[in-house]
Amino acid sequence: MAEVALKKVVKRYGDTEVVHGIDLDIAHNEFVVLVGPSGCGKSTTLRMIAGLEEISDGDIVIGDTVVNTLPPRRRNISMVFQNYALYPHMSVRENLGFSLKIAKRPEAEIARAVEDAAAILGLDALLERTPAELSGGQRQRVAMGRAIVRHPDVFLFDEPLSNLDAKLRTQMRVEIKKLHAKVQTTIVYVTHDQIEAMTLADRIVIMKDGHIVQVGTPLDVFERPVDTFVAGFIGSPPMNLIDGTIRDDTVVFGDGRSLPVPPDFAGRLENGHRVVFGFRADVLMPKGHALAESGTVHDIDLTIDLAEPLGSESMLFSSLAGKEIQARMHNPRAVRSGEVLTCELHLDKCHLFDAETTRSLRGDG
Amino acid sequence: MTRLRRTIRDNAVPLALISPAILIILMVVLLPLIFSFYTSFTNYRLIRPDSLWQWIGTRNYERVLGDWDFWVAFGRTVLFLTVVLNLELLFGLGLALLVNRITWGQRTMRTIMMFPMMFSPILVGFQFKYLFNDTIGLVNNGLQALGLTREAIPFLVDRWLAFFSIAFAEIWMSTSIFAILILAGLFAMPKDPIEAAKVDGCSNWQVFRHITLPFLMPFIYIAMTIRSLDVARAYDIVDVMTGGGPAGRTELLWTLIARTAYDDARMGRANAMAYVSILLSIFFTWFFFRKLMAARKHLGAF
Amino acid sequence: MSTRTKNILTWIVTFVIMLIICLPGLWIILSAFRTNGEILTKPAIWIPQNLTLDNFRAIFGYGENVVGIPVASYFRNSLVISVTSTFVAVLIGMTGGYAFARYTFPGKAATFLWLMLSRTVPGIALSLPLFIIWSRMGIIDTQFGVILVYTAINVPFTIWLTEGFFRQVPRDLNEAAQIDGCTPWQAFWKIEFPLAKSGIASAGIFAFLTSWNEYALASQLTRSTDSKTLPVGLMDFTAQFTIDWAGMCAMAVIIIVPALILTFLVQKHLIAGLTFGGVKG
Repeated sequence: MAEVALKKVVKRYGDTEVVHGIDLDIAHNEFVVLVGPSGCGKSTTLRMIAGLEEISDGDIVIGDTVVNTLPPRRRNISMVFQNYALYPHMSVRENLGFSLKIAKRPEAEIARAVEDAAAILGLDALLERTPAELSGGQRQRVAMGRAIVRHPDVFLFDEPLSNLDAKLRTQMRVEIKKLHAKVQTTIVYVTHDQIEAMTLADRIVIMKDGHIVQVGTPLDVFERPVDTFVAGFIGSPPMNLIDGTIRDDTVVFGDGRSLPVPPDFAGRLENGHRVVFGFRADVLMPKGHALAESGTVHDIDLTIDLAEPLGSESMLFSSLAGKEIQARMHNPRAVRSGEVLTCELHLDKCHLFDAETTRSLRGDG
Repeated sequence: MTRLRRTIRDNAVPLALISPAILIILMVVLLPLIFSFYTSFTNYRLIRPDSLWQWIGTRNYERVLGDWDFWVAFGRTVLFLTVVLNLELLFGLGLALLVNRITWGQRTMRTIMMFPMMFSPILVGFQFKYLFNDTIGLVNNGLQALGLTREAIPFLVDRWLAFFSIAFAEIWMSTSIFAILILAGLFAMPKDPIEAAKVDGCSNWQVFRHITLPFLMPFIYIAMTIRSLDVARAYDIVDVMTGGGPAGRTELLWTLIARTAYDDARMGRANAMAYVSILLSIFFTWFFFRKLMAARKHLGAF
Repeated sequence: MSTRTKNILTWIVTFVIMLIICLPGLWIILSAFRTNGEILTKPAIWIPQNLTLDNFRAIFGYGENVVGIPVASYFRNSLVISVTSTFVAVLIGMTGGYAFARYTFPGKAATFLWLMLSRTVPGIALSLPLFIIWSRMGIIDTQFGVILVYTAINVPFTIWLTEGFFRQVPRDLNEAAQIDGCTPWQAFWKIEFPLAKSGIASAGIFAFLTSWNEYALASQLTRSTDSKTLPVGLMDFTAQFTIDWAGMCAMAVIIIVPALILTFLVQKHLIAGLTFGGVKG
């Protein structure tokens, strides 16, 4: 059993603070992904959990132990590094067994543990090779094998897929998910790729500038982003965001066009409140090319600048109040540039953010 | 004080790791140099130990700087270094470009090129003393056998010939450093810029001048820096080949120091000269090290 | 010029250069096996009439024409001094190089620069104060005194080389090892040291050659068979009335051979070490 808890954890380098007192509770067996743009402090946080960086303030608890000053070897964790960090002078077998050898376990036990891990990851045939003789995906697997071989309390992944090509990344993502199902361990996973975060995580922790911005299930953070940063960061394409002002339950944009205030937000906002209207491409669809959905629908005419056919659907690029926006066209047909289409906007799934604080104006959020 | 203590505590591991190196250099290099700096202000003579306490201010320096022999040796040393380093660079560059062109036997040639680097300077000196000897030397014997000269050429006696012979020995010993490092640079050089330049219509010479040479500069400066660490090894060569003679005609700064200190037993004055030679060495090293850093920054794009 | 002529020309020039590089050494080696009589004959005898090992026997004190120079002692001194100072210098230099490669600490760049600058001090200039201090301390003309000095002059270069090699070993290997349960010492010894081993070995060979070949300092700090090294001993010959060229050549061969063997072993790593130590920041 190993929960991980971060309590007001701070990291300073000299006088610059890079992680500002973050709190996070991770349950046993949970798969938590720390995601954010580079420099947001996610890797530093992971390395503090690993014990590779000292913490400047606060507490880190693994299981029942406060590990603040424990060296990495005493924390019973394992880690998969971005560059795999395989030992080049050892065979795959020796790499896998290294931690057990250091722990002075009997030969037979090491051999068995290595075989087991190799079987789980399909490395059986590669055991006598050296890392230099492996492909990127195989190295990645060895790195994971080295991590699972001694049944740690917590797995740490530091951007493990960023050095793989797109196809292999998708494949390894599935393998990591399967691995988690098999070995049942707490996992903390760092990435800058929101798709990885969405597909892998039980819970996503979105970080920015050394703060945690939002914690929630993938669906949570997708459907109810707490601010414009999360709205823009999670989901692909990013959410369309347009500045406007409230007037009599409508949002008026800079060019004079307006949209009704979404039902979730109606009746709560004063006239003159400056807001950001947000909606995803998925909820803006040309008439006749939309998914049949119930709910409040508002029609707007849009001049299409460009259509990007993707086969089963097309992405449409247009603009609203001077901002480029995207819409999604199901059962696509050819669209000319400059063509005007009437589109349905599903107001139930739209968002309003405060223009000043960037926070969501959803009452319960 | 607490700040210092905190700094030490925060960096205990690296400080502990470098302290043996610092300690031994402190003991064997820095402290002796401080001591010799002190003695350069005394009238210290080896045969009269109490003269160590005779403070005479800057008189040693005044004497040294007013001494014609010193300036001759100093000038000769600078001339020697200028000639030798430039020729080594030129020959090294030529040799590297030559070996780079050759595909067959390149490894062997690289190995052969390294041999002179590993020779003890004293051996290099001896080797050329033997070769240039006027009665039994290979060079004179060869020239006479070929009928090119009748009389033996006094390579190690004549002022300029001796200078040439010593420079030859020095160049023989150290050209390899340039050749090998420049060759390493040629190997590391990306091919794209050269091809791009050729497409743009550059002649071979222009490619070399504007693409190859700038890329090689850091390697040349490494070689220069390494070389300037060792310029004083010329002392060994001169000592065995001519001993600074005949009649001081091949005296370099370093042999003059040795003579003043050990033969004339004027430690104080020798130390004053030694400081000049140290400054000279540091200047050379510093100069090329700065160039190296600048070139490295400049080439960051590669 | 056609490519063919160009190639032939390249080959000729290369051959001449290689000849200039090799000939002096080969001539010395050849002379070491000839008799003094033959070397001194005028006009020169080009093809050796009889090759002999007498010169080597003589300098080691065997045979008829025993040379009064204790080459065997010099050889022993050289070996003891070079091996010991190399071992200590590599140990100290490697620790220092590791610290420079892996840690940041205040004054790091300046410390590194000063260590390197200490190497620029000309041997003869350093010999003056060392001569006085070593005399007072009673370690002049001892192997210990020379070992101390050689260790110090080898440390900076060893730091430079090993620092470069350690920097090539990715830092996350050390971290991975620590997470795998290693103490920092185990992580160094089991992971980083084996990976930098070849570099450390070449640093060692370099230090050995520096010690083996050094003359300026040894010529002042050694006086007798207790500590005199081979390069200093070579000068013994010049003090005699008639120079024993053959004997000197034989002794030169003894100094050259270890250098040649080690060069052969170290060449690849040496170039790599010098180059990336200098080029990569």
